[in-house]
Amino acid sequence: MYLQVGQLLQNQSDIGMILQTLFSLSFIIYLFYAQRIQAMSMLRAVEGTLRKVKEIRDKGRSVSIEAVKEASEGDYDPTPDVERFLEHFFISPTSLDPAGIVGKMGQLLNVRENTFEAEVRAMAPKASDSEVNNLENLLEASLALNIYYKVIRHFYLLGKKTMNIYVIMQIHMILPMIVREIEAYSRALQAFRDGTPIGDSVGPLVAARLMHGHEWSDVAKEMVAAEVPYNGRTLIVTKAKGPGGSVGKPGDAIENILNSRKGRKKVDAVIMIDAAGKLEGEPAGGIAEGVGAAIGGIGVEKYKIEEAVKEHDIPMYAIAIKQDITHVVAPMVEELYTACDTAVETVKRMIDEKTKEGDTILVAGIGNTVGVGQ
Amino acid sequence: MTTRMTDAGPQTPMMSLSWVSLAVVVVIGIFSLLFLWLGFQSFGGENPDQGNLYIVVGTAGLAAIGYMFFRTKAISSQKPPVEKAEVVTILECPSCDLKRVRDFQRGDYVYKSDESCTRCEGTMTITGIHRKAEPKKKR
Ligand SMILES: [Zn+2]
Repeated sequence: MYLQVGQLLQNQSDIGMILQTLFSLSFIIYLFYAQRIQAMSMLRAVEGTLRKVKEIRDKGRSVSIEAVKEASEGDYDPTPDVERFLEHFFISPTSLDPAGIVGKMGQLLNVRENTFEAEVRAMAPKASDSEVNNLENLLEASLALNIYYKVIRHFYLLGKKTMNIYVIMQIHMILPMIVREIEAYSRALQAFRDGTPIGDSVGPLVAARLMHGHEWSDVAKEMVAAEVPYNGRTLIVTKAKGPGGSVGKPGDAIENILNSRKGRKKVDAVIMIDAAGKLEGEPAGGIAEGVGAAIGGIGVEKYKIEEAVKEHDIPMYAIAIKQDITHVVAPMVEELYTACDTAVETVKRMIDEKTKEGDTILVAGIGNTVGVGQ
Repeated sequence: MTTRMTDAGPQTPMMSLSWVSLAVVVVIGIFSLLFLWLGFQSFGGENPDQGNLYIVVGTAGLAAIGYMFFRTKAISSQKPPVEKAEVVTILECPSCDLKRVRDFQRGDYVYKSDESCTRCEGTMTITGIHRKAEPKKKR
């Protein structure tokens, strides 16, 4: 039987020839259409991600609408207002003439913040201050998800229309990173709806650990500070005002504190604690010490801090708590939680090493203080 | 793998390797095996040159299948959209040092103290909130 099949094909070498031709043909086709095939397979990968992102975006929108509805009065339907909010945009000032751009940026950001707050208050009149802050953050996370979705969709449709491999490649290349960011934001929805601390809250949590039990006062918009005695020194600990989701204005706070001490003993050192991006392979919750203004964001607050510290000529130290992009806006993982206690010890050791008795040290916990009081 | 796919339910749009692709794989596989077999046959026979050709074509077919499987696996192993994280709240009583861990409730925040202690008269303070350690994911 099996010999017969072999003979059949072997004897009729015509069939072999035909098959060979077919294979050669497919090879030649691949030679010319390889790029198109590649483009199609990349487009398929983008399409899969797009579908997933759409799901997450829709979830963000429905979570936001639900949360706003809970805090609103009567049978008000927040859907159109939330949808309008999700299309909100921000135009950065021109950098053609960069002089004074930080001030312009800061002013625009203030306007944006105030607009958001006013909109949320109008939508949810029953909400308390912290709830308004949390809702604001929740809506901002949904807004970010909406933008991610729209950009990916843009490149997908453009790629499909043009079938240009370079258009498709642009989005395909960064897809893995984008997916991680989107997953992080989808976790942020839960954190801001419930008000749980997030990875970025490590800075405020360390500050809260230091200042809890001491009398605090407001020092700038959504910023609090407390004087804490430690080992013969005076610590001025500042953080964003919790427990609502807010990063506050640490730049203004540090500036105000440094300026308010004119005539009194001046501040001898500034220590900033912030979450920092870790490299792949580093453990989450690792702590590193350095020098400089440990603060992220667009750079307005960083600029203010650096200016103020330069003016008063104060050494500035930084403590970074390492975490992954997927941790930053997601509910705080246990590694980061325990890292906060280690960071408190690090702050104390730094103070012991770098200052002497009688000194005044400004300690700033930078980050979003959602779920962390004081 | 299979359990993962069923778990994800409707959230597996990436399984676009449908039965059409599967049929293609099967056809290419059969042809590749046939060519390999023919190749080995011709080696023993009078036509070793043709045997070489057959073997090259057969191996290429198998390589193509291998590549297809590799790709499908990479696509289908993408994680399903993020599931809910479980968060716990740690409460401590300053007067009797009782420490308690419970599930997070909305409205909880670190250094909130309005829950009465279960052991003494004091009020408990929330000292920590964090996500429950997740079981190690299998790769
Ligand atoms: Zn007690």
